[in-house]
Amino acid sequence: MDKAYILKHGILEQYLLGELTNEEQLEVDNILKTDADLKKTFDTLEANFENLAFENAINPPAEVKTNLMQSIKTSQTKVLPLQNKNPFKRYLYVAASISAFLLISSIWMFTQLKKSNTQLKIASEQKEQLMKDIDGLKNNLNYATTYFNVINSPETKQYILTGNDLAPNAKVVSYVNHQDKSVIINAEQLPKLDDAHDYQMWADVDGVMIDMGVIDKNKSLLAMNYIENAESLNITIEPAGGNDHPTVSRLVTNVYL
Amino acid sequence: MQNDIALIIQIQNKDEVALSKLYDNYAPALYGVIIRICKDEQHAQNILQDTFMTIWEKAHQYNSEKGKFYTWAYRIAKNKTLNFKRKSQNLIQTEDLSVYANKEDSITIEPEYLQLSGCLKQLEEHHQKALELVYFNGLTHREAHKEMDVPLGTFKSYIKQALKKLQLSYDKTVVWLLILIEVIR
Repeated sequence: MDKAYILKHGILEQYLLGELTNEEQLEVDNILKTDADLKKTFDTLEANFENLAFENAINPPAEVKTNLMQSIKTSQTKVLPLQNKNPFKRYLYVAASISAFLLISSIWMFTQLKKSNTQLKIASEQKEQLMKDIDGLKNNLNYATTYFNVINSPETKQYILTGNDLAPNAKVVSYVNHQDKSVIINAEQLPKLDDAHDYQMWADVDGVMIDMGVIDKNKSLLAMNYIENAESLNITIEPAGGNDHPTVSRLVTNVYL
Repeated sequence: MQNDIALIIQIQNKDEVALSKLYDNYAPALYGVIIRICKDEQHAQNILQDTFMTIWEKAHQYNSEKGKFYTWAYRIAKNKTLNFKRKSQNLIQTEDLSVYANKEDSITIEPEYLQLSGCLKQLEEHHQKALELVYFNGLTHREAHKEMDVPLGTFKSYIKQALKKLQLSYDKTVVWLLILIEVIR
C-alpha cells in the first residue's frame, strides 16, 4: 500500500469510517505518521466529516445524560473499590491460612523429629551395650575354649599343689601340656590375701627359680607362663605386683613334675 | 481540538465534569449518526449512553496523534449501532415469523426528523446518497455501491467528488462568515 494506491482507492475515507481490517488500519496509521502531505489530506477529510455530522446533529433527550452521569457514578463508587480491595483481601486470607497451616505442620514435624531423635539415641545406646555384651561373651568363650582345649587334651597332665604349714587349706590344680607348652591353674582354693600381697608362681630349672607370673586374685582359672625343663612348680607369697626373686621363706605349696 | 485533548486527559483521570462537557459538545452529532443507522429512538438513546460509557472507560485508548476525538467516538458509536442491528436482525431471522420480516425496515420515527441538512443538501443527488449511505447509514463501501447499483470504483469516486464539493462549500461558508463578521464590526 503506497500513497498513490491510498488516494486512488479512497482508502483514507474507509480508514476514517472504520471499514478497514486491523492490519490495513495499522498500515495506514504508519503511513500517516511519516507522510505529512497525506496526513493533511486526512485532516481535511476528518474536518469535513465532522462538519457533516454537526450539521446533521440531533439533540438527544436530557435523560440520556442524566442516566449516563448516574451510571458513571455508580460504576466508580461500586465497581472500583470492589476491584481494588477484594482480590487483595482474598490473597491476604489465602496467604494467612497457608502460613498458619505451614506453621502448625512444622511444629508437628519438629516434635516428631525430636521424638525420633531420642528413640534413635536410645536404640544406639542399647546397641552399643549389646555389642559390649557380645564382645564380653566372645572373650569369655575364647577363654573357655582355650582352657577347655588345654584341659581336655590327652597330652595334658594334672598336678595338684597342696598347701604346707603356712597355708594348710590351700589347694591348686595345675594342668601342664608339654606339647602345646601351656600351663593353666585353678587357684580357687588359695586363701585370700590382703591388698599388699599376691601369690606368685615359679618353675625350678636346675635349682634356679624362674618366674611363671603373678596369680590374678579375681580369676579362678588362669594361664601361666610355660617354662621349659621345669622340675617343680612353686607358689610363694610376694608383695603386690610380684617379685624378681622368690621369697623362699614364704613358700606355700609346691609339686614335682 | 486542544480543548478536546485537555478534556480527554481529565476524563482519563475520571473527571466527571469533563465528561459532562464532552457530552454536551459531541452527543448531538453522534446521536444524529446513531439514530439514522438504527432508526429506533429508544435503542438509539441506549446506544448513545453506552457509547459515552465506553468513552469514559476506555479514554486511555484514544491517541490524539491518530486523529480527532470525534472520529474515534464516531467509530465507537457506529460499531455499537451496527452490532445492535446485527443482533436484532438475527433475532428476527431465528424467530421465523413472517410478520416480523419487514420490521427491520420499519421506521419508528418520522422520516422528516432524520432528514439531512446543511451543505450536504447542496450536493448533487448521487453524491448526497453516497455520503449518506456510508456515513449516516453505516454501510461499508462494498455494501453501499451495491445499494446504489454502481461499480465500486465509481462509488469511490462519488465519495471523493462529494467530499471535494463539500470542502468547497465549507470554505465558502467560512468566507461568508468572515465577511459577515467584518460587516458586523
